[in-house]
Amino acid sequence: MAVTTFTLNGQQQRLDVEPDTPLLWVIREACELTGTKFGCGRGLCGACTVHLDGYPVRSCSFPVSLAEGKTITTIEGIAPSEEELHPVQQVWMEQSVPQCGYCQSGQIMAAVALLKQNPEPSDDAIDSAMSNICRCGTYPRIRTAVKEAAQRIQSASMVTIVEPQEAAL
Amino acid sequence: MTTLSRRSFFKQSAALGGGIAVAIHLGGCGSEPVYPGDRENALQPNAYLQVTPDGKVVFQLPRAEMGQGVYTGLTTLAAEELNMPAEQIVVEHAYYHPEFRDPEFQMMMTGGSVSLRNNFMPIRQAAANLRAWLRAAAAQQYKVSLDAVELSNGQVLVEGREPVGFGELIETANSLPVPEKAPLKSPADFSQIGRHSVRLDARDKVTGSARFGIDCTVPGTRTAVMRRCPHLGGRVKSFDASAAKAVKGVEAVFEVNGGVAVVASGYWPARKAADALDIQWDKGPLAGLDDNTLRQRHEKLLQSEGRQVAEVGDAEAVAGERMTARYRVPMLSHSPMEPPNALVQVSENRVEVWTGTQVPDTAIGVVAAALERPREQIIVHNQMLGGGFGRRLVPDYIVEGARISARTGHPIKLVWSREDDIQHDYYRPAAMAELSATVDNGKVTSFSGKTVVPSIMGQIMPMFAEAAMPEWLPPAIPRSLAGLLKHVDTSMTEGLGDTNYQFPYKKMETVHDDTPIPVGFWRSVGHSQNAFFTESFIDELAHRLGQDPVEFRLMHMPHDSRRYRALKLVAEKAGWGRPTPGQFQGVAAHDAFHSSVAQVVTASVEGTNIRVHKVVCAVDCGLAVNPDIVIAQMESAIVFGLTAALKAGITLEDGKVKQSNFHDYPMLSLAETPEIEVHIVPSTDAPTGVGEPGLPPVAPALANAVFAATGQRLRELPLRLG
Repeated sequence: MAVTTFTLNGQQQRLDVEPDTPLLWVIREACELTGTKFGCGRGLCGACTVHLDGYPVRSCSFPVSLAEGKTITTIEGIAPSEEELHPVQQVWMEQSVPQCGYCQSGQIMAAVALLKQNPEPSDDAIDSAMSNICRCGTYPRIRTAVKEAAQRIQSASMVTIVEPQEAAL
Repeated sequence: MTTLSRRSFFKQSAALGGGIAVAIHLGGCGSEPVYPGDRENALQPNAYLQVTPDGKVVFQLPRAEMGQGVYTGLTTLAAEELNMPAEQIVVEHAYYHPEFRDPEFQMMMTGGSVSLRNNFMPIRQAAANLRAWLRAAAAQQYKVSLDAVELSNGQVLVEGREPVGFGELIETANSLPVPEKAPLKSPADFSQIGRHSVRLDARDKVTGSARFGIDCTVPGTRTAVMRRCPHLGGRVKSFDASAAKAVKGVEAVFEVNGGVAVVASGYWPARKAADALDIQWDKGPLAGLDDNTLRQRHEKLLQSEGRQVAEVGDAEAVAGERMTARYRVPMLSHSPMEPPNALVQVSENRVEVWTGTQVPDTAIGVVAAALERPREQIIVHNQMLGGGFGRRLVPDYIVEGARISARTGHPIKLVWSREDDIQHDYYRPAAMAELSATVDNGKVTSFSGKTVVPSIMGQIMPMFAEAAMPEWLPPAIPRSLAGLLKHVDTSMTEGLGDTNYQFPYKKMETVHDDTPIPVGFWRSVGHSQNAFFTESFIDELAHRLGQDPVEFRLMHMPHDSRRYRALKLVAEKAGWGRPTPGQFQGVAAHDAFHSSVAQVVTASVEGTNIRVHKVVCAVDCGLAVNPDIVIAQMESAIVFGLTAALKAGITLEDGKVKQSNFHDYPMLSLAETPEIEVHIVPSTDAPTGVGEPGLPPVAPALANAVFAATGQRLRELPLRLG
């Protein structure tokens, strides 16, 4: 066992875990955040996607030791508040993207990361970034929702000149 | 007294199409269990609905939500009759109760695309009764006539008063009789049924807060994983657990269910230890079997005499030149995104199960049998299902969890890996068919065929019988039923011998492949392969006769049928016959689960690479309770069906599944998903199946498009250009 420290959804974590434990199981079992899902255990399906310093990683095959000192965000950590959803979540909900819903945390985390890197993704960019598997076949709606979320984030950023943190001061 | 009418049993053992129609009447002398979710001081007119003292309406969702939308669809039925927004209703996954048994399948289960069809009236009636009860109570309490009382927006409006909360009427209502046949709303007055609305489970599913079986835990829970014999049907001979026991966090390693279980503090130590086990296997009955021997076996069986399942018309009509074609489909795994798992806590007088299952009834039956406990002790807390597709009709993983919990005395969360899932499924069986027609003078004079396929019901019935059979029946009886059922299992030929194509003579036979390969109900079941056989061969016939594939089909089916209307509509919407240059169209139309779906696939071919550009789909499913969910289910089934049409199947080597994870058992990706356009045929008929019927036509429509593009007739799935 070894002590690992990282930031999870804004909270400092200090855990005594086996260093080779995949981050997924630390998040789900030790930190009790179950929105991040186990789908394949080999980084193939993306159901376990979380953000590590803002970049999407497949946590089922990412040893917790590599998360040392990093900032991790899960599906539970992307909404601005309890009442408000992240624009990607909001569009996902309005367009009834989820069916069984099991892969959707990972899909949304992949989409949020994509839009951060590329605010106006082309179809090709969506094709390569959104490689998570959905057995229910929600792909057509994911494509539409990513585009709609991109537009909303863009138009929101045009009117929101003041950063929320600054506004709070 | 409980009676079992054998005759009606066999007669009505119709397509499970994902289920089993069993006409067993479970009268019985015992008292009915209390309504599920029973709350103190609540108003409870029936098993489905309650009003709590604070005025909330609680709906017991009697079917499993696995993506197909019952959470929204069935709640909408109750909301409509209660005149309140569906979002205001508290939805709970129902516990087992006899009133939740499906009238066709005689068990509480979700499958066969029957959820809306068979609950359309009962749930509306249950809600209408509650509405009538509340109105009567308000009229009495406020001494007004019934006409002066109406329900609106989750409250009771009484003329001349402020709106009254439902909770304020509980006491008065309880002093009045429960209405049983209150009038239902006229469809003309529907304000929610038939309208577009956001799924009620969408919010929880975008925030990560929706709870699936794998997310459940109770104090003291240990995680278990299992190693099962990789050779299907085999079992453990001996094993060395020393390396496994050395893994930190491992608590126990023992043999169970023919495999080896590892119990540990969490998933990772359990998995590491399981990988470290050194196990000698007894390869079991399928040792030596591979894909070639399976193919040869089917070819040989095709030569044997079949059981006739359909014969229509006059055999004298057979005349002219004969054309014959042979088709084949591979085994397929369901692979829902949430691997099978169950949390089971076995205690002295109670066995609690937290899991996602399509068959709470069967789960209770098999756990009771496995632990030798009465059914009443088994409680299934059903959760959201991370995909079902028929996989969660088999409760094998629940029994594993139950046995491990019973053995260790701890609550056990048993979790399968993706490898476990792909290598230990109850597979869509491999099947082969030979179809044949005679053509005389430019006309088809006969259409016949023979299929070789295992009987799913024959294999699975004994397990279902644990749930559906009266308990006094000796255990040997259900087992022997399996042998008989293979003679009546309509899922073997559904969509093959029962299409509405009209030819002077039609005949269909089936040969039972009595195999120990585990087989199960895979989304659309027999239709998943039989539509590929039928709709490919019909296309071959059209081309042979030099006729347009759409025209040929329309000409040979009743003009007043749903399928005719769906096909007409899809041809029009897809611009049939006018594809973009360089692209090619293929069509298929199929009836399944009482609905009709027709699809036009547009594809192109580069080298040996098949690219699907667009799928236009028309569906007639009666009244679309939630049209957006109908569209979503068509999209879903098309993607599911395209995976089967284009991606690898399950193949065997020495009785062992060769594929293990999504790298060698791939799924269609977003990048490969075509544009999908869905049209719903307007209808006022009662709702019919939606979750499965969109799947069968897509593979043949694509194969037919590939033929249009290349002149190559691909008669096997997955489609591979040579």
